Amino acid sequence: METDDNIVEILFVEDNMNDAEMGIRALKKSALGAHVLHLQDGEEAIQFLFSADIKNLPKLILLDLKMPKIDGIEVLRRIKSDPARKVIPVVVMTSSREECDIVDSYKLGVNAYIVKPVDFDKFTKVISEIGSFWISVNQTPLHNKIK
Amino acid sequence: MPVLKHIAYIQLKSKVKFIVFVFVCSVLLSAQIQPSREYQIKAVFILNFAQFIEWPADAFSSAKAPLVIGILGKDPFGQFLQDAIQGEKSKGHPLQVKRFSQVSEVKQCHILFINQTKSDQELDVITSSDNQHVLTISDATDFIQQGGIVRFVTENNKIRFQINLNAARQNEITISSKLLRLAEIVNN
Amino acid sequence: MEIRKKLMMVILLTCGAVLLLTSLTFAISEFITFRQTAKRQLATLGEVIAANSTAALAFDSKEDAAEILSALKAEKHIVEACLYDENGNVFSLYQTGSASPVFPAIGAEGYLFEDAHLVGFQKVFQDEKYLGMLYLKSDMNAMYDQLVVHGVIASLAIIVSLLMAYLLSKKMQQSISKPILALAEVAKIVSQQKDYSVRATKVGQDEIGLLTDAFNQMLTQIQEQNIEITSFNQKLEQSVQERTNDLNRVNKELEAFSYSVSHDLRAPLRSVNGYAQMLQEDHADKLDKDGLRITNVIIESAKRMGKLIDDLLDFSRMGRQEIVKSTINMDTFVKGVVDELMEGEQERHINIVVHRLGVVSVDPNMIRQVWVNLISNALKYSRKKENVYIEIGSTVQPGEIIYFVKDNGAGFNMDYAHKLFGVFQRLHKESEFEGTGVGLALSKRIIDRHRGRIWVDSKLNEGTTFFFSIPNQ
Repeated sequence: METDDNIVEILFVEDNMNDAEMGIRALKKSALGAHVLHLQDGEEAIQFLFSADIKNLPKLILLDLKMPKIDGIEVLRRIKSDPARKVIPVVVMTSSREECDIVDSYKLGVNAYIVKPVDFDKFTKVISEIGSFWISVNQTPLHNKIK
Repeated sequence: MPVLKHIAYIQLKSKVKFIVFVFVCSVLLSAQIQPSREYQIKAVFILNFAQFIEWPADAFSSAKAPLVIGILGKDPFGQFLQDAIQGEKSKGHPLQVKRFSQVSEVKQCHILFINQTKSDQELDVITSSDNQHVLTISDATDFIQQGGIVRFVTENNKIRFQINLNAARQNEITISSKLLRLAEIVNN
Repeated sequence: MEIRKKLMMVILLTCGAVLLLTSLTFAISEFITFRQTAKRQLATLGEVIAANSTAALAFDSKEDAAEILSALKAEKHIVEACLYDENGNVFSLYQTGSASPVFPAIGAEGYLFEDAHLVGFQKVFQDEKYLGMLYLKSDMNAMYDQLVVHGVIASLAIIVSLLMAYLLSKKMQQSISKPILALAEVAKIVSQQKDYSVRATKVGQDEIGLLTDAFNQMLTQIQEQNIEITSFNQKLEQSVQERTNDLNRVNKELEAFSYSVSHDLRAPLRSVNGYAQMLQEDHADKLDKDGLRITNVIIESAKRMGKLIDDLLDFSRMGRQEIVKSTINMDTFVKGVVDELMEGEQERHINIVVHRLGVVSVDPNMIRQVWVNLISNALKYSRKKENVYIEIGSTVQPGEIIYFVKDNGAGFNMDYAHKLFGVFQRLHKESEFEGTGVGLALSKRIIDRHRGRIWVDSKLNEGTTFFFSIPNQ
C-alpha cells in the first residue's frame, strides 16, 4: 500500500489479505493508518528493510510468523542481528499460540508477541493499542530521527 | 505265896525251854536251808565250773547221763545248790547233787566238793578207783598241796580260786583257758 | 546358640548325667553295703567279746571283764561297751572319750543304727547257760571317712571323664556340624550376594546330604527361573519401548496437527468474523433490520467456532502435556480462581463459601483449569436463580482427598449423568446456557491424569454438586 509523504512509520508484514485489511482498518481508526506499509511476505520485508536507499527505518514492525518464502522467524532473526535495525520494536502478530513459536521469538529478541484474536472487536482493539503504545507511548532511538 | 511262885517258876521254865527250843531249831534250820552268802557264791561257782571243764568221753556213760556234783563231808550249801541245779543242764547232761559222808561212799562223780580236810591217802583213794575223772574242789588251806585241783580263796572280800593244772591233767580233765585266766595257777 | 555348641552341650550333659547317676548308684550301694558290713563286723566282735567274757561273768571277776572290754581299744570306732550280768545290772564298762555316757537298760538282742552310731546287744552264753548281756556302741566315722574318700575319687573321675568327653566330642561333633555349617554358609552367600550359581558340596549320605541336594536343586530352579524372568523382562522392556516410541510418534503427529489447526483454522474464522462486523459498522445504512440480524448470526457463529477451536486445542494439549506436580495450598489457589471469576459477576447476589481445602500435590496449571471449569459452570447454571449459593469444600478419606463444588442452580436429570463428561455432550440447550460441551471432558481428562475420579450428583431445579478426588499418599 502507499504511504503519505513516503514515511513508513509502521511496517505491517502479513500474508493474509483479509487480516491485513482488518489490521490496516484498525490502525486507521486510531489515526496511525497514515504511515503504514503493508508487505505480503518475508522476502519483500527484508528487501525493504535492508535496501540501500531506505530513507528511514520504521518505528514499529508488525510481523506475522507463518508466511511463504521467508517466514517471520527468519525475518526476525535478520532484523535483530543487524546492529542498526535491531532497535526497531518488533511485535509478532500470529495465529499460533504454540510454545515453541513464543520461545523462539523471545530468544531472538522479539519485543512483544500477540496471538491474533478471533473476535473482530478484540482484534481491532489489540492492534490499536499496540500501535498507540509502540508509536506514541514507547520511546526508541528512532523517534528522534524522524520528525 | 509259894503256890503262885511255883506256878510262875514252872511257867518261866516252859518259856525258857520254848525259847531255847526255837533257838536251836532255827539254828539247825538255818544251817540246813540258808547257807551263808559265801557259800551261795561258791555254789554258783561250782555250777559254773561245769561250763568250763571238759571231761573225757568215758566219764559219762551216755550223752544224757547226769553230771554228778558230789559233796563229801558236811554240806555247806544246803538247799541252795539243790535249787540252783533244778532244770539246769551242762552240755546236755542234767545236773545231780550227791552227798557222801565217807570216802568209800564216793563213786561216779564228776565234781566233788570236799568239806573237811582229808589226808593225801584218802584223796588218792578218791582218785584211783572209778572216780578218776573228777574235779576236786575244797576250801582247805593245803588242798592244792594235798593234790586237789581247785581251791577257793577269799581275798579282799572276793572269792578267788587256785587251780592245780597238773592234778587236772592227771585226772584227764581239760580246763578252759577262760577259767584258767581267772584263776591263780598253782602246782604242787 | 551355634549348632556346634549345642552338640557339645548335648554330649557333655548326657555324659555328666550318666557319670553322676553311676556315681550316685555306687555311692548308695556302698553306703548300704558298708552299713551291713559294719553290723556284721560289730556282731562278730560282740560275739568274740561275749565268748571271752563268759568266765568273767560266771565267776564275778570284774577286773577280768574290764580287761576283756579294754581289748576293744583295738577297734577305735567302738565308743562304748558294757557288760550286764544275768540280772541286768551293769557289770563292767568301757568307754572312750571323757563324757560319761548313759548306758541303756538291757534291750533286745540285735544291732541297729541310732543317731549316726551303731548300737546293739549280744547275749553272753556259755554253752546253754545265759550269763549276761554285752552292749556295744560304735561310731560310723569309718564309713563316713570312706565315703568322703570315695566321693573325692568319684569327683576326680567325673572331672577327668568330662574333660575326656569334651575333647572327644569336640573332635567328633564336627562330623555333624561341619556339613551343616557349610550349608549355612552357602545359604548366607546366596541370600547376601544374590548369587544363585553357587552350590553346596554334598558330604555324606545322611539327611544332611539330602538337604544339600534339595538345596542345590532349589538353587538350580531359581537360576533357571531368574533367566526366564530376565529374558521375559527384556522382552517386556522391548515391548514397552516400542509402544512408547509409537506413542511419542503419535504425539508428535498430534502436535503438528494441532499446530496446524490452531494456525490455519483461525485465520479464515477471523476473516468471517471481522468482515461481517465491518459490514455492520461501515455499511449499516445499507442494511435493514433483517440484514443486521443475519450479520449478527454470522458474527456469533464465528465467535462460537473460535471458542470451540480453543477448547478443542486445550483438550488435545492436555492429553500430551507432561504432568508436573507440586505441593500447593488449595485454599489460596481456589480463592484466587474464585476472585478472578467473580470479577465478571459484580451485579448478582452471589454467596461463595470456601471451606478448608488443605495442601495437596497436583499440577497447578491443570488443576486450575478444573476449578475454573467447575466454578464457572456453577456460576453459569445458577444465572436464573435470585440468590446464588455456591459451596466449595473437601473431605479427607483414606488415601485421597475429595473436593466438591456445590451450587443451587438449574440442576439436571441424573438419568443423563453418564453423558456429562463426553466431548461436546451437553444437557441443556444453547439458548438456555451457552457452552461448548468440552469443559467437563477436559476436566475429566485432567483428573484422570492425576489418577483421581470425577463424578456428579444433581437434582433438577435444585442444584448440582460436582466431586473430584485426588490421591494422597
